[in-house]
Amino acid sequence: MRLLAHGIGVVRDLPIPAVYFYVGASLVLVVSFVLLFALWRRPLLEEHATGRALPGWFGRLVLSGAVRIVLGLFSVLLFGLTLATALFGTTTSLLNFAPTFVYVIFWLGIPFLSVLFGNVWSVLSPWRAIADAIVWLLELRGREARPVLEWSDRWGRYPAAAALFSFVALELAKVSPDYPRTLAIATALYSYWALAGMAVYGRDAWTRGGEGFAVMFELLSRIAPFAAREGRMVLRWPFTGLAGDERTRGALLFVAVMLGSTSFDGFSRTIRWQDLTSQVRAHLAASSHRTVDLAVMGVNLVGLVLFIAAILATYLVAVAAAEKLGGIRRSLIPDFVLPLVPIAAAYMVAHYFTLAVIQGQFIVTLASDPFGRGWDLFGTADFAPNLALVSPQTVWYVQFGALVVGHVAGLAIAHDRAVVVFRDTRRSVEAQIPMLALMVLYTSAGLWLLSRG
Amino acid sequence: MNKILLVVAATVASIALVGCGSNDSESASTDTTTTETTTTTTDTTTTTAAKKPTEVKVVVVNGSPQGGIVRQTVNKDDQVVLVVTSDIADEIHLHGYDKARDVAAGGTIRLPFKATIPGRFEAELESRGVQIAEITVEP
Repeated sequence: MRLLAHGIGVVRDLPIPAVYFYVGASLVLVVSFVLLFALWRRPLLEEHATGRALPGWFGRLVLSGAVRIVLGLFSVLLFGLTLATALFGTTTSLLNFAPTFVYVIFWLGIPFLSVLFGNVWSVLSPWRAIADAIVWLLELRGREARPVLEWSDRWGRYPAAAALFSFVALELAKVSPDYPRTLAIATALYSYWALAGMAVYGRDAWTRGGEGFAVMFELLSRIAPFAAREGRMVLRWPFTGLAGDERTRGALLFVAVMLGSTSFDGFSRTIRWQDLTSQVRAHLAASSHRTVDLAVMGVNLVGLVLFIAAILATYLVAVAAAEKLGGIRRSLIPDFVLPLVPIAAAYMVAHYFTLAVIQGQFIVTLASDPFGRGWDLFGTADFAPNLALVSPQTVWYVQFGALVVGHVAGLAIAHDRAVVVFRDTRRSVEAQIPMLALMVLYTSAGLWLLSRG
Repeated sequence: MNKILLVVAATVASIALVGCGSNDSESASTDTTTTETTTTTTDTTTTTAAKKPTEVKVVVVNGSPQGGIVRQTVNKDDQVVLVVTSDIADEIHLHGYDKARDVAAGGTIRLPFKATIPGRFEAELESRGVQIAEITVEP
């Protein structure tokens, strides 16, 4: 089974028509200038970020121990099933539960839930649930669960960025990432990373700095209209959770991995990249299977790293220009990281919408026959997924809409931050131009990738 | 601090540019192969224009498609036949439509199907995991 650009999948989108590209890019350009000259001159987001407290019973219910235990058990069960099917199930990846569950239900579903409902991963993470259970058992026997080593804030989010990079490298660079046994090894390795990290540095420290998925889903959950605060649930305007700066070290690198990997996924589907890897294979036709796969993976890795580096470089250049134009003496790197989060979310929607809708249907069949042995546990083994469920036009509208909404949100958040940062400077309008240019560049690049297919 | 950052950024940017540059030189040769592929496929369509189904012909040499990945665009509801001649034995798999057939070394197989689902679909040598063709179905 060959990888279809993003880990798994059977249908790929038709390239978005060029007209969407021009309309989208111009729209974002216009909005950016409107924001720059006409809209608010004092920060608005942070004062709205507090939100309105929802009734006490709602918070007590959602954040209760019972909900935590039920969801924790459910997620540990699914985790066990994934590991078992990856290890012992059929090696035909589309007939095995694990690949579709990992690359579609988990990897696309949890970001979707996080953006809608807030940080659901804090109660859905199987690793967190296992760690909680271990601590509970230790305390039951009168022992105290303490971290072995002290976490240092200097590490920031670098370990989490490394963890996320390993996952996207598996998904996008490895040949046959959906091979069940490969997934079994990857799942085992990542579980070791997550659990050992929590044991050594403590559950909270590792969730904030080392567990890549937890960090990513928490960042995405700041878009959501719901948040937990001091035991209560609050309702707030979407995106207001992204107001302010992000001083944790490594936050920029982390977001760059999120953005760079999704855009590389798009680029790796272009004719140019497909032919490049095809040529690498043709050149090495005489070599062994393993050598060819390693070479293709190497080429993909270089591409992935270049995309992440390009995101970092463009961001750093824009920030340096903003510092110079605004006459600011401190580093502005932490100030404009969060506006990139809605853009990362938009890229995910644009690139993975079809995969989620089409491949997601297969989970109905797979739930009944997770090992691919001809079982029919829930009577859904014969469910026939509808591969033509969404028309190409619908896909284009969703892609286009997601990119424009994501970028306009990013622009607004960046503008709100700029108002705080450049308030006292005389050239506050000019100083915003580099960041606006960066956002427009990311939109055009995103739409261009979709139009090149 | 700012200067250091600028230097770092400039270095990274230049590395990225050099990287893209080398990609371009690679793709120069890529482009020629693509053109060859399109000419062969156009020939195929013109010769088979009299017949109803569109034939997508792929010749596999040494485990990879001759002249690069074969690309063909068809309209929805067209009759299409994927014809694969291979010098190695493998299973030919067309994704999405989920059609598969074994080909013997030196043999030719035909995979006929009606293009009912719009999108882009890959055909591959299943056990080697090598893409040989891409069929685009326009709505």
